[in-house]
Amino acid sequence: MTAVLEVHGITKQFGGLTALDQVTFTVGEGELVGLVGPNGAGKSTLFNIIAGAFPPTRGKVLLGGHDVTDLSSHDRARHGIARTFQQVTLFPELSALDNVLQGLHRHIPGRFLAGLCGTSAYRREQRQLEERAEGLLGALGIEDHRDDIAGEQPLGIQKLLTVAVALATDPTVLLLDEPAAGLAHEESTRMMDLVSTVIRRRCTIVLVEHNMRIVSRYCDRAVVLHFGQKIYDGPPGKLTADQRVVDAYLGVAELG
Amino acid sequence: MSVKAAALAVLLVALVALPPLAEPYVLHVAIVVLINAVYAEALYVIMRMGYLSFGHAGYIALGAYTSALLATKLGVSPWLGILAGACVAAGFAWLLGLVTLKLRGIYFSLSVFAFAEVVNAVFRAVDAFGGPAGIANVPRPSIGGVQLNGHLGFYYVVLAAAVMSLLFLYRLAATRFGFTLLALRTHDTEALAESVGIASARHKTLAFVISCFFCGLMGAIHCHYLRFVSPFVFTFFFSTDLVIFNMVGGLGSFWGPLAGSVLLTALGEQLFAAGYYKSLVYALVLLVVILALPGGLIQLPRMREAWAARRLRLAKAPVTAVER
Repeated sequence: MTAVLEVHGITKQFGGLTALDQVTFTVGEGELVGLVGPNGAGKSTLFNIIAGAFPPTRGKVLLGGHDVTDLSSHDRARHGIARTFQQVTLFPELSALDNVLQGLHRHIPGRFLAGLCGTSAYRREQRQLEERAEGLLGALGIEDHRDDIAGEQPLGIQKLLTVAVALATDPTVLLLDEPAAGLAHEESTRMMDLVSTVIRRRCTIVLVEHNMRIVSRYCDRAVVLHFGQKIYDGPPGKLTADQRVVDAYLGVAELG
Repeated sequence: MSVKAAALAVLLVALVALPPLAEPYVLHVAIVVLINAVYAEALYVIMRMGYLSFGHAGYIALGAYTSALLATKLGVSPWLGILAGACVAAGFAWLLGLVTLKLRGIYFSLSVFAFAEVVNAVFRAVDAFGGPAGIANVPRPSIGGVQLNGHLGFYYVVLAAAVMSLLFLYRLAATRFGFTLLALRTHDTEALAESVGIASARHKTLAFVISCFFCGLMGAIHCHYLRFVSPFVFTFFFSTDLVIFNMVGGLGSFWGPLAGSVLLTALGEQLFAAGYYKSLVYALVLLVVILALPGGLIQLPRMREAWAARRLRLAKAPVTAVER
């Protein structure tokens, strides 16, 4: 299996606090990896570093073998990385379709002059882009919300839309930050079923998740962080058998 | 051809054909309206992107002074001067944009305000730039050796420049570049935009440069119209007027700032003749619009639909329900 994402010795210090300490792991092509850990374990920090929202103090991020550590967030998107945010982040005043069209940015030639003149070739191209965006909305089952204002939709639709926007970039690696969090049971199941079928077929996935049940049911592999250190990297089925993971989650009984 | 396009065509023909019949004062108002419409739409380019500027008059002044100085000190043709004025304003916008567009909200607004104050302070302090008295006897441009000293000839210059500028700015919003700017309205959406590969800083800087280019261009034309410029022409209050045009017209579409600038400028010119009531009336209009019609004048058609729907509902409802 080829590694599409490699994280080498990532350390992140905020002032005196070490949020991440020498974290190393790789993700192979087509894998669905769960990044697990209690609150404050450093999952989101690691996500932000992989996506390029801020740089690590030390360490490297490789995408498809290329060192992207020094690249900005938008340049990394061009190297095939996409992400969703823990807080639902959309273009709230735009329609669902326009949200996905923004997501298609890296596949869209600018054609400024053609756009200014509104040439027929430009309009045709624009319609093709809209069809592509509609296809993505359809793949996630939210095509009925095509013209609805994103910010006015219920949370379940908004969360699916954030995934549609990220998928629009046609990523090789998709970072999903708690896609099921805050959703009712059925919606959460619908989301995770989509992740493990439709979305999986399109790209490699790294999933930040709190919920052990989701990780063990859907992920190929789990990476567990605790106080910024990797304490487990293996099949999700054996998670609950690992003493360090159990201690991290339930706390160590201090007797005496 | 849609109704809207036909109406625009009629308007354009009227703007070209009627002026020879008009009084000089009407021409004067038309010239000022056209100039202000371009200023307001230029500002709208960045307001659409979530940036509020209290300093666009600084870029207007840069355009005006550039062309005025070139014409009076070096005898450069006003036509070249106008172009140079636009480029100087755009150049400064690029330099400042690199730094200030990282700021959001009031911090951006204040930084642009501060720059505009610096611009006027420098023009006031340096004698070579005219000092506090400014620059008088700025020549009008000429066509075929005839200087456009009357209102009519200059009106057509302004009309041509304004129509071309407005057309460009209107179409700009329809381009993919213009569409991308909508993704950069807040700090959060900017992070999302970056994550899908949008180089936000580059887009924002370019938008700011375009906005200030047209301010500089019209500023230079404005100055050749007034035949004069001083540090007290394009002041802070000039900047806030442009914001008021946008707010009163509404920020939802291209037509908002256009409606706001045309209505308020036409009104303001009448009041200016009657005394210094302009600021008071602008402030009152702004207050009324913000309170009664927060989306601006362009919301009026939609409000009418809402009212009509409400009347229909009331008419259909049983009498008792209405009484209750």
